[in-house]
Amino acid sequence: MNVTRRPARTSSAARSAAVLTTMSLALASSALLGAGAGVSTASSHREAPLIAADPQVDNTDVYAFTSPDKQDTVTLVANWLPFQEPNGGPNFYPWADGAHYDINIDSQGTGRPDLTYRWTFHTEDQRGTNTFLYNNGVVNNLTDKTLLFRQYYTLQEIREGCDPVTLVEHGTAAPSDTGRASMPNYAGLRQQATVQLPGGGQTVATQAADPFFLDLRVFDLLYGGNLSEVGQNTLAGYNVNTLSIQVPKSRLALKGDPKRNPVIGVWSSTEKRTLKLSPGKADPVGKYVQVSRLGNPLVNEVVVPAGLKDAFNALPPSEDHNQPALVAKVLDPEVPKLVQAIYGLPAPATPRTDLQEIFLTGIAKATGGPFQVDLNSQLLNKDVNPKRFVPAEELRLNMSTPVTADPDRLGVLDGDFQGFPNGRRLGDDVVDIALQVMEGATPGHFIAALAAGDKVNTADKPFGASFPYVATPYAKAVNQPN
Amino acid sequence: MRSLPLLLTTVLLCGRLAAFGALDRGQPPGVPTSADGARHAGGAPPADGSLARAVAVDQQRLREVPGDAAGWARLGGEYVEQARLTADPSYYPKADEALHRSLTLTPEDNVDALTGLGALANARHLFAEAGEFARQALAASPLHWPAYAVLADARTQLGDDAGATDAVQHLLDLRPGTASFTRAAYDLEQHGRTDDARAALRQALDGAYDPADQAFCRYQIAELDRNAGRTADALTGYRKALATDPGYTAALAGQARAEAALGRTDDALRDYADAVGRVPLPQYLLELGELQESLGHPDRAREQYRLLRAEQDLAAANGVVDDLTAGQFQADHGDPAEAVRLLRAEWGRRRNVLVADALAWALHRSGADGEAIGFAEQAAAHGWDDNALFLYHRGEIERALGRSGEARTHLAKALATDPAFNPLQARAARASLTALGG
Repeated sequence: MNVTRRPARTSSAARSAAVLTTMSLALASSALLGAGAGVSTASSHREAPLIAADPQVDNTDVYAFTSPDKQDTVTLVANWLPFQEPNGGPNFYPWADGAHYDINIDSQGTGRPDLTYRWTFHTEDQRGTNTFLYNNGVVNNLTDKTLLFRQYYTLQEIREGCDPVTLVEHGTAAPSDTGRASMPNYAGLRQQATVQLPGGGQTVATQAADPFFLDLRVFDLLYGGNLSEVGQNTLAGYNVNTLSIQVPKSRLALKGDPKRNPVIGVWSSTEKRTLKLSPGKADPVGKYVQVSRLGNPLVNEVVVPAGLKDAFNALPPSEDHNQPALVAKVLDPEVPKLVQAIYGLPAPATPRTDLQEIFLTGIAKATGGPFQVDLNSQLLNKDVNPKRFVPAEELRLNMSTPVTADPDRLGVLDGDFQGFPNGRRLGDDVVDIALQVMEGATPGHFIAALAAGDKVNTADKPFGASFPYVATPYAKAVNQPN
Repeated sequence: MRSLPLLLTTVLLCGRLAAFGALDRGQPPGVPTSADGARHAGGAPPADGSLARAVAVDQQRLREVPGDAAGWARLGGEYVEQARLTADPSYYPKADEALHRSLTLTPEDNVDALTGLGALANARHLFAEAGEFARQALAASPLHWPAYAVLADARTQLGDDAGATDAVQHLLDLRPGTASFTRAAYDLEQHGRTDDARAALRQALDGAYDPADQAFCRYQIAELDRNAGRTADALTGYRKALATDPGYTAALAGQARAEAALGRTDDALRDYADAVGRVPLPQYLLELGELQESLGHPDRAREQYRLLRAEQDLAAANGVVDDLTAGQFQADHGDPAEAVRLLRAEWGRRRNVLVADALAWALHRSGADGEAIGFAEQAAAHGWDDNALFLYHRGEIERALGRSGEARTHLAKALATDPAFNPLQARAARASLTALGG
């Protein structure tokens, strides 16, 4: 990678970005391996892909917040398939047919979903053999014949111990934006794709500008690389696939009572169906297997040890406390040690019970953790049985926290209690927050050396004031000269 | 999770990030046109595609940040992939060095480096070693699914049939996707369950995102069609694979095989020449040589065989042990006694059905039919009963032993399965069947 060399500055900005580097370690791509023999007959040694990129089912982020314009509801947003390059067409980024795209809610603190919203897509491809283009003319409406590739979904509400309820039988996903000429009014298409739910609320499956923001050049600086500057949003210009659902708080709360039971844990997950070899059986259909999972941002990248990342993706949160290596890493994380070794910033004392409280239990006096404040643990729910409560990695939201009129990007750390880690709003600067938290910051007590963070403080495209809040997709190639 | 798959990272690094350096010098960065096409941006062959750029990016990065263990593991994996795409075995020593540097930097539980070393060992045909690396990776991380893929490949090649199936099922249970469905398909194919294999490949294709992976799936489906004698369907499939990924040379060679089987000799020769020009795999050279031999051009055939030997020497010099291909070649076009020697050595290393078949054939070619028949039967032991080449070899051995009825059955079945399974041997099979009055 090419980074302009300039004399190193020892400012806090430089230092904090360098620290960020260490945090973003695991953001780097996994090795892509080939199992084939370069020199052999294909018949004697089958060359199958070993690590095939599967971004369609790769969770990137989950958000959960009280809807600012409809405060009796919560909006849940989950994203998949990052780094979609908008080329003004013909690029299309479909949802994976038949996969389960889930947003899970744990209102009892058991690490198991009390409620799952499950989207399952199927594709209608009318392109035939004449064209590879996804539309053969301007698309003004989802029903226009010019749109040749459509995806539909069913949305189910699955509650433990009940039959699944179908909320949406035949929803239409808003297509990938193939550019201004093809889709002059993408916001209109998204509006058409938004479905009102029985019992209140709404949902949409759409492409969106990736709301996540950070400076990825931190990769380059690890282990003494030279930081010259930060402040460039590396994700600006790329799109993601977004599932968003807005529902009344009473649908999410334990016993339907958000006053008595205001806290929920949230995570997204993806399941794909496998097959069974079982010789002799005619029908080799297998079970659904969880291949991806995401609650708090950056946890799998920054906290989970390398050897455990696959396990983390495969397991439900209810199993987290049975993974001693995972808990050990939360209590004794790598990043602050690296930072101390390389940059001389002293690592906070271990065990890091503060991190355990933030990531695994939620913040409440009853957890026995170091924070003497009741914020967002399910233990605050009056109808929770504390005996069934287990530490589990979830994004926890207290639905009773009042909406902040003027949100602070640093959330709870800067005294805005409606921000991350109490849920996550689209504008919360989770990279800077996580960096501060890793290095031992507590609400009101910042690590001065890191005050500037990665210097990317907002996403490039403004968020909407109403559902689904995520910005419409970028329609211009990222690497195009402006 | 917000990890960055290689091809996406490549876009990012080669596009967005390279721009920072380039901007100061006022040069536009070279940028792939899209994330999903990054590996072969603009239809460029893989050698010039994003993998090569990713390698360049990682090399540069590791020059600046040599302590990045994960980066070395990634680069090592990229070298193994490069070797696969270019058939240039000189990438193996580079992969070896990168992976070991990663291991030196992070000796404990370095799952990615261990898995990479396993993949490299498989590529070099050091299958026992590959299995060992996979086991180490799994000991450190029991749910690390890529290690099960390495283990499955190793056991398949070692002839541990039940163990291979078990590893593939583990892989399937951990990670449904291209890597697992394609391996499931091979497992099913080897057990004679061709329809199930095709279904598994369709499932793989449905879920494949990267054009290179899609092309692989389409190519394998076409291979099943061709091996079942559905040559026209196969040709369509190879063409689709090439349309998906123009840089996928295997599909070009497949297209040539299908054209040869359909009697479209000029097209076949052109496509073979093109394929060999891109990737001089011994398999392609052998097929082209046999086609030319069947067309009455022994001189041109000998030229391909000469190149084939040179390729094999090159591979051996880079740590590839492939006595199977060498033995198969010697049995039909060289010294059958040498073939027996090579294949006995290979059989000593691994009890794979392909080795059993090749050894049976080499023994037959050197006149040892009494011993050959046992190996021919072992080749069929796991139920791969629709493999035309196996059937032909077995039929000829039975004919030499005077078992006319069985010989007729197997020769006829070989030709029924795929009447054009090989330009030289299909002809020989028909002649033998005629001689047997079948």
